[in-house]
Amino acid sequence: MKQSLHSTTLGNGITIVGERLPELESVAVAFHAPVGAIHDPLGKCGLATVTGEMCLRGAGSRDSRRLVEDLESAGVQLAQGVSSTHISVSGAMVARQLAEVLPIYADILRRPLLPADELPAARQMVLQNLAGIEDEPAHRTLAALRRLQSPAPWGMPTEGISAEVESIEIDDVRRFVARNLQPAGMIVSVAGRIEWDDFVRHVEALLGDWQAAPVSPVATGPRGPATLHVAHDAQQTHVAVGWPAPPYRDDTSHEATAALAVLGGGPSSRFFTEIRERRALCYTVSAGYQTSREFAHAVCYSGTSADRAQETLDVMLAEIARLPGTITRDEVDRVKARAKSGLIMQQESSAARAGAIARQWYHLRALRTLAEELERYDRLDVAAIEAWLAAHPARDLTVVSLGREPLEVPHALPA
Amino acid sequence: MPFLHERLPNGLDVIAETSDAAVSTSVGFFVATGSRDESDGVSGVSHFLEHMVFKGTPGITGDEINHRFDAMGASANAFTSEEDTVYYASVLPEQQHEAVDLLTAMMRPALRGADFDTEKLVILEEIRMYDDQPPFGADDRCRAAYFGQHPLARSVLGSVESITSLPVEAMRDYHRLRYAPGTMVLAASGAVDFPALVESAKRLCGDWEPAAPTERRRPQPPRQAAHPGTERIVKATAALDYAVWMVAAPDEFHDDRHAARLLAILLGDSSGSRLYWGLVDSGEAEQAACLYQDFLDAGLFITQLSCDAADVETLRQRIADIYAAAAAGGVEQAEFERARNKLASRVVLGGEKPRRRLFDIGLDWSHARTYRSVSEHLRLVEGVMLDDVHRVLRAWPLDAPAAAVIAGPDGEG
Repeated sequence: MKQSLHSTTLGNGITIVGERLPELESVAVAFHAPVGAIHDPLGKCGLATVTGEMCLRGAGSRDSRRLVEDLESAGVQLAQGVSSTHISVSGAMVARQLAEVLPIYADILRRPLLPADELPAARQMVLQNLAGIEDEPAHRTLAALRRLQSPAPWGMPTEGISAEVESIEIDDVRRFVARNLQPAGMIVSVAGRIEWDDFVRHVEALLGDWQAAPVSPVATGPRGPATLHVAHDAQQTHVAVGWPAPPYRDDTSHEATAALAVLGGGPSSRFFTEIRERRALCYTVSAGYQTSREFAHAVCYSGTSADRAQETLDVMLAEIARLPGTITRDEVDRVKARAKSGLIMQQESSAARAGAIARQWYHLRALRTLAEELERYDRLDVAAIEAWLAAHPARDLTVVSLGREPLEVPHALPA
Repeated sequence: MPFLHERLPNGLDVIAETSDAAVSTSVGFFVATGSRDESDGVSGVSHFLEHMVFKGTPGITGDEINHRFDAMGASANAFTSEEDTVYYASVLPEQQHEAVDLLTAMMRPALRGADFDTEKLVILEEIRMYDDQPPFGADDRCRAAYFGQHPLARSVLGSVESITSLPVEAMRDYHRLRYAPGTMVLAASGAVDFPALVESAKRLCGDWEPAAPTERRRPQPPRQAAHPGTERIVKATAALDYAVWMVAAPDEFHDDRHAARLLAILLGDSSGSRLYWGLVDSGEAEQAACLYQDFLDAGLFITQLSCDAADVETLRQRIADIYAAAAAGGVEQAEFERARNKLASRVVLGGEKPRRRLFDIGLDWSHARTYRSVSEHLRLVEGVMLDDVHRVLRAWPLDAPAAAVIAGPDGEG
């Protein structure tokens, strides 16, 4: 398949990555500013998230309402999000609208008004979201796992902590923007029906003269304890298990992905077969690979009735222990088939491709063609995955449960 | 995007929308059956049967089904609603044959007693999972209060009691009755080899016994809530109140359905709508949304509100005021055009995804034996005028007496 991938870096450190998908009518664009929850100052967990919200509440010559209305008039499906490492604003639209809306995105990044009278509402919106999360047991369980197994501040909740969000003032937001919302390291990604040269010229005209300033590095602290039970009065108990793995930029990330997919990545995986199909212990069970640029983890999850949660955890741990040395060729073939068809089908979605190339640039500082990615999966075999498992055994497990009663967590995996 | 159709002698319709640009093929069976086709004794059987279809046929085990889908790199799944049960797989084009083969075989499941007993436990876990998370069953309870004796009142999942007491024989009878060629459509979208699809269908489904399709629409569909008023579900541990209320809206055959969808976007979309600016932007509500849902013989405007329990009555009143202001003062041309651009953009962007197109063409054909291309759909959206929205506001008042349910931490309100 002929692919049209591009990248260029401007003088101020903004990298533009793009993929032309001429069969599509749409285009998706995303701006990933390299500032996120890890930059939240001590005692202000949630500042990046409040800042992300405030950036949409007026920018350039538009107030909050006009900004949203102008984007929506152009049929833009607008999204804004904050992760540990990035504040992102993005949009998908019919391709002819792109030139008209790019200046609005540039205003959001460079000229947010950050009006003091909008702060109470933005703060309140973030607090409402936090209250809603209290009612989402699966989300809470996985967030708790992340917080325990990542060194501070990488595991801090991106959505914030209520008591700390309440203390955020407009000066906190303005200082945060002035110090951290910088062009250096920003990734602008675009995919769909684009003309690459025109797009680069337009972005350069809008963002090229934005001067970079130095950003202080993030200090890394200790991680949390290995087990945690969160009391929650409900019918189901939720269980999450994780352990460290090398990050995506490590050259063996395909082996890591494949090993965890064999464990819990699809309906023919070990977890699904043993926990749901054989024992009917749960409706949801999964295992997967989650990575930031610096840290990565294997993450397993299930939710089940309180009286069946111990058995579910026991079977999960037994399957994790059983994995090394038992992977079959059929399993590897299935994992490869799923991964490869997923990669190819991404070509049908401008938003999926814009996301994928931005992630690649962030992790690898390079773009891999589809052919290269497919070739990496083609090379995978039982020996390579077994070698990876031998080099990266499931050690230092972190176990979180959320439900009525704590579970018994063994100190080591069953033999 | 050409549309192709062939009907087998036993009445099974095979349809496809093909696209030269697509790199994938989506195929699916659309079975015209859901919770509205159930009776008291078998509540939840449609959805439970959907699970059982993945547990194997007389010649294929459940494990084999999972292995074969994964081996072809398929993204395969199923869903059940009030009116439809849909099985689908998205694959690379070279896997079309294998995907159709497997999906077709699955439509004649073994429904083994032992599998039935095991899977029952999974269904019960699914019921508990939804019961433990927002809106804590408020949506099901509200639909029951709105529809009263009408079959759309039935819950898709059923209840712990109905699932526990369901015998396997009742599922086998239900399957025989509802999975007949006349109530099923085999649909495909994307990079489709249509002659091969028809050939597969003839070979694999040609001997399916035809059955006369039953009329599913009711002669006198509800035009108002059967049990107006507010019910309470107490969830002591809930952090927020979750309110949902329902009033009448056009059904899926009504000329005003596109105007109704546009009105719901204008009033209650997740951003840029009147409810958004009135309740969400200020941080007073976690969510405030208005949705339009259409069925074969009924329609609903559904309002969803989640907020601090202390604010729920104030904010319900604020939403009622917003609806009353729209009814009295109408809609401005500029906000109408914004909502129409939004909807048009969703139609175009959604039209690029073969999976999404599969659902659109399969459901249209299953319900109405009609096909609408993306451009036809776009033309219908762009044909909606401001007057049409004003007519919907008058004919389907959002401030009519509603069926309402609030789930939240205390019973005081």
